[in-house]
Amino acid sequence: MEENIVTFKGSVNGLIVIMKEDEPFEAVMEQMERKIASAGKFFKGASLSVKYRGRKLSEKEAAKIHDLLVQKSGAEIKEFSEDTETSTKPVVNQSEVQQHRFEMKNYFFKGIDEGRTKFYKGTLRSGQLVSFDGNLVVIGDVNPGAEVVATGNVAVMGSLRGIVHAGADGNKDAMVVAFNLQPMQLRIADVITRSPDEKESRNPMVPELAYVKGDMVYIERFLPQR
Amino acid sequence: MGEVIVITSGKGGVGKTTTTANIGTGLALLGKKVVLIDTDIGLRNLDVVMGLENRIVYDLVDVVEGSCRIKQALIKDKRYDGLFLLPAAQTRDKSAVNPEQMIKLCNELKEEFDYILVDCPAGIEQGFKNAIAGANRAIVVTTPEVSAVRDADRIIGLLEANELRNPKLLVNRVRVDMVKRGDMMNIDDIIDILAIDLIGVVPDDEKIVVSTNKGEPAVTDDKSLAGQAYKNIVRRIMGEEVPLLNLETDEGLMIKLKKLFGLKAT
Repeated sequence: MEENIVTFKGSVNGLIVIMKEDEPFEAVMEQMERKIASAGKFFKGASLSVKYRGRKLSEKEAAKIHDLLVQKSGAEIKEFSEDTETSTKPVVNQSEVQQHRFEMKNYFFKGIDEGRTKFYKGTLRSGQLVSFDGNLVVIGDVNPGAEVVATGNVAVMGSLRGIVHAGADGNKDAMVVAFNLQPMQLRIADVITRSPDEKESRNPMVPELAYVKGDMVYIERFLPQR
Repeated sequence: MGEVIVITSGKGGVGKTTTTANIGTGLALLGKKVVLIDTDIGLRNLDVVMGLENRIVYDLVDVVEGSCRIKQALIKDKRYDGLFLLPAAQTRDKSAVNPEQMIKLCNELKEEFDYILVDCPAGIEQGFKNAIAGANRAIVVTTPEVSAVRDADRIIGLLEANELRNPKLLVNRVRVDMVKRGDMMNIDDIIDILAIDLIGVVPDDEKIVVSTNKGEPAVTDDKSLAGQAYKNIVRRIMGEEVPLLNLETDEGLMIKLKKLFGLKAT
């Protein structure tokens, strides 16, 4: 005898019954009866809305199963209908997006002196986004249109030409360093600055450091040159 | 109540974004309140062409998802008061927005702006469907190449299937010398195939490359022939009757010079 013609599954909204499609209806009924029996008093007194999946039922068949559930389980069946909700599995892309943004919080990430750190190796190109709840080190360039977001410090071992956001959940002590600091936009906590509109010809490849002091972003060379 | 105009082409690289930037700036020059919407999510360009990329904080996707208000995402142009840009998101893709959301957005913007120009992505997939969803009018951009015209024809069909009647044709990057030699498609041939009204012809102009790189639309440059063409198109959009630009001014001058030196004009 096939074991899993009928599966019971609990959900937030009640009970889901999953039935195999290619089995005869009698077998479904029979196994459901046994399953309910083996569940014993589990359902007794409960109030359930039951949905079914995996098999199309005619009205007659649905009524039969409904009767069976009412009689055998001892539970109050509020409704019995097909589960039309599509699988609630999160789309990979969306969950990815969720991590990208950090909300400003009162309890922000404070491990900027010593805390979790991610190393990303490679060039970040336009449209790519690397974000991390912690410090972030990019070993490579960040091109225009790319985004680097971290709740701690950001260090770029290369040219930073894209958008950078350090202290993304509110830490104003976070800083940004890069071998070549030419970001399109630089954000630290809730302070936003942008590149000047005129193309200024600065000496390229001078390591620089950006930090916030009193809601102003300061940029200075960080190599001891004295 | 404003008007939503979608600028589309099917084929990539024919000048949709340049056209959007120039028409938008041209309308703003004439004192209209204009918003440009970039719907090319994941491959945004309009912000770069407008020279506004460093101002982007919120984008189209943030607006439709409700993570910010429309006002917060609109970027005011640095030169003209009545001109705004709603940039696309770069780190997402076309599926982040659906046509219903675009219709709602366009309707809200219509309340406040005279013209809403929608820069459509290349292709006929989701991004195209989003871009045309809220539009009242359409401008189809093409170049005098068989492939671009073929794609424009397909687009016109799709626009008509989506109840966007009477799209207008803009022929971009026309080189008069090549047309004369018969090496490039004639404007009349293109209109013959596509059978829609012409809204303007824009000559191929080196200044467009310069202005695109600088982030300053060519329409602001009085010396640029393409800029002149766009200015005329802007006036036609506003309902004026403007004769087509004489694209031979440059060559005319050359011929005059040659005649001056007693050479035979070719």
